[in-house]
Amino acid sequence: MKVFLRPLLGVWLLVLSATIAGAEDRPRIVAVNYPLQYFAERLLDDTAEVLMPVPAAVAPSFWRPSIADISMIQSADLILLNGAGFATWVDRVSLPRSKLTNTAKAFEDQFIVTESITHSHGDGGEHSHEGLASYTWRDPLLASMQAEAVADAIISRGLADAQSVNARLATLQADLAALDQQARASLAGLQGVAMIATHPRYQYLAQRYNLSIISLEWEAGVTPNEAQIADLRALVADSGARVLIWEAAPPAEAREVASGLGLQNVVFSPLAHGPEENDFVGLFSRSLALMSDVSLR
Amino acid sequence: MDGTVIRSAALASLLIAAPMVAEAHQLVVFASVDCEAVTVEAKFSNGNPVQQADVRVLDGQNALLVTLPIETDGTVTVPLDSVDHSEGLLIEVDTGSHDNYWIVTPDDIARNCQS
Repeated sequence: MKVFLRPLLGVWLLVLSATIAGAEDRPRIVAVNYPLQYFAERLLDDTAEVLMPVPAAVAPSFWRPSIADISMIQSADLILLNGAGFATWVDRVSLPRSKLTNTAKAFEDQFIVTESITHSHGDGGEHSHEGLASYTWRDPLLASMQAEAVADAIISRGLADAQSVNARLATLQADLAALDQQARASLAGLQGVAMIATHPRYQYLAQRYNLSIISLEWEAGVTPNEAQIADLRALVADSGARVLIWEAAPPAEAREVASGLGLQNVVFSPLAHGPEENDFVGLFSRSLALMSDVSLR
Repeated sequence: MDGTVIRSAALASLLIAAPMVAEAHQLVVFASVDCEAVTVEAKFSNGNPVQQADVRVLDGQNALLVTLPIETDGTVTVPLDSVDHSEGLLIEVDTGSHDNYWIVTPDDIARNCQS
């Protein structure tokens, strides 16, 4: 019996070691947010390990990595940055330039500058700064350009076969173009309708589809306090807003408060993190369908 | 324009500006390393050096190793032989009203020591 088992065990060990070696040999790509992770995964189809290292409970734009996180990222074969000021941690560490790709570089002229604020500190005198809206992928056409930048980075570094990546890019860009078409149809009825978002995440969506969205600074999934509700009431009275866009499903109590103010509630995930169900294209499409329902009411 | 409208308009502008507040008050921290020391530089986003701040040096487990006052030129030097840098160093600069950080990994130290 032992004589029979020994060769089988040997074969099994060979297969196992080859599998482990294969996994270790795969290129590692790090993305600063879920959309870039999703694009890379679709373009590579499991030929590389694609990581988005930010824990689910933390906003990827304001994540503070550990030293071990940065050591892991420094050892990656490719680091996908979103650009537009997304992920502030990238300016607080040394990252190898040869591995960096700014996926928004091609459309820097389309960045949305957010309001400036005047202040002073130390002996620097009074001055102001401008910021950038950073959720660029909310516009499917900009997302498509980012996907193309990811593909270019993969190919130029020889991380995958160019022909395969280009073929997958064409499919991905077709999906994003379909999202754009869906958005044009779904959101047309909301042009001219004042809307309020619980977080400033929809500037590029609003810019592309000519929407009017005022942003609050509410924490996702948390019931607003009395002061926040009073502010919302004043904002509704001032703007005539009819729609409240949540970035995550609100507690029932919060939903009722908004309904009581005459607002229709819509959940439109910003997708900075990967969804538990569905994927970037699927969830974006579902959110557009919900917006379409609102416009029809 | 009655008070309600003014209040609402002010509120709306504040809400639009609010996301900028965290971003706008930028304290810029940078650290370079060689075989001997980590040199920390801190300045405000207008280019002015920080003149008063605590510089905290933490290890790879986030344990505080040492706190140093920043020099008037906005720099401070941390000798490597004065701290356990085997798991890298986290440098925090805190002016009291602003703070920021820089991460030095073991690879950063090894790479810059070789060059």
